[in-house]
Amino acid sequence: MAEIETAAQVVSATGSGWRVKLKKRWRAWLRALHRDIGYVAIGFTVIYALSGIAMNHIDDWDPNFHASERTLTIAPVPDDATDEDAVKLVATAAGTDGDTPTETLRAGDEVRLTYGSGTQVTAIGDTVTVQQRSSRFFFRVANWLHATRGKEAWKYISDVYAVLLLYLAISGLFMIKGKLGLRWRGTLLVGLGLAGPLAYIVLSGGPDAHKADPRTAGEPTRPADGIRMLPPEP
Amino acid sequence: MSERPDLDRYPELAPRWDRRQFIKSAAAGTLLMAAGGTLVRIAADDLTKKARADKRSDGRPRLPPGQRVLENLRAMGGQEGDGSVKTFALKVYGLCKTPFEVDYAGLLKLPTVTKAADVHCVTGWSMLGGEWKGVQVATLAEKAGVRGEARHVIFEAAHGFTANVPMKEATGDTSLVTWRLNGKPFPLQHGAPVRGLIPDLYFWKSAKWITGVRFVKDDIPGFWEVRGYHNHADPWKEERYG
Repeated sequence: MAEIETAAQVVSATGSGWRVKLKKRWRAWLRALHRDIGYVAIGFTVIYALSGIAMNHIDDWDPNFHASERTLTIAPVPDDATDEDAVKLVATAAGTDGDTPTETLRAGDEVRLTYGSGTQVTAIGDTVTVQQRSSRFFFRVANWLHATRGKEAWKYISDVYAVLLLYLAISGLFMIKGKLGLRWRGTLLVGLGLAGPLAYIVLSGGPDAHKADPRTAGEPTRPADGIRMLPPEP
Repeated sequence: MSERPDLDRYPELAPRWDRRQFIKSAAAGTLLMAAGGTLVRIAADDLTKKARADKRSDGRPRLPPGQRVLENLRAMGGQEGDGSVKTFALKVYGLCKTPFEVDYAGLLKLPTVTKAADVHCVTGWSMLGGEWKGVQVATLAEKAGVRGEARHVIFEAAHGFTANVPMKEATGDTSLVTWRLNGKPFPLQHGAPVRGLIPDLYFWKSAKWITGVRFVKDDIPGFWEVRGYHNHADPWKEERYG
């Protein structure tokens, strides 16, 4: 069977007897479209797959930023120091006196300096905390795109991508006929792919499995007489 | 394991053989990484073992089921506020006789407390024994003259984030509007300059970049609650998903 090179060629094949042509060549049409949509989907897939892995492990690392924090001990800022002197003292101690803070605040026992780079220097008593962070290459923007929160237009673009993925998945079922297709290998692998999530749902108990036994974990324990002695006030 | 075929003699087998080798290598690599990760996690989990043996003063286990202990908070994302102490303002309002708004310096002048509290993230980590400094939500409620019909508290944060908490938990002893953990200010990723703290519920209820505390009569499910997470979020009942 002749391979159709582009989806456009399929469209141009319309005309007299197009139903016959379609019946004969629907698999080639499916493959051509699968291939072209596959090319379109590569950029989206790389972004979603890598940021998906990154955010899946968000409890193990910060997928967006490298964050650092250091603390220094200084002589506490004297109460009678002017705000300007207090800022100078803290900036000098933190080694940030070469930059001009975008924001300074002296309130309560704190002196806070914020810099344009995002660095935050806070003096509390005799401790200065310097907090800095920098964006992770690629992941910051990929994660931003992946988490659609607050991005109205991207929400619909990613909906389109999801529909394209559905097409890739479903058309993939019918691209090859015979033993390598749904007659044997395809069915086996589709079954394996479905078995994974199904087995996980069954073995893990599904979304309600984590509900703990209320007899042991749900309520605070109470003595039989209903009175529990509290520790004395310090 | 099958032996390598004579690919010089049967070159048509080369693509299939290469593919097989690739799949084998990929599978072996994945298994190795998974095993390594599991070993690292098990070896570093003494904190969790110790916490599992502890009890809280109310008799519940110190570590809720399905949690592991980390030494520090993890950054869990979210749409950050600007972190500015200059522009910070906390609005305390809703069903109140004397609603008010307070800036950062004003907040520090309110009666402050330092409370030891454990926090539990819905993703499975807990951080135990943090010393949190702030103002009790109960103090804010008292100052605002909250009316008797208020039943829920809506914690509002940057970019429209909200988290709903029943009045009982929101005004508990360790429920705070907090600006310091273990003597240090929060970095931006953890809610700077001020965040909520509701330690007896999953940590998403402790809104970062807090902007408001609103007292309401009827419950209003918040950002995560309308996205499939549990409306109440008790870690000891594993109320993770709705």
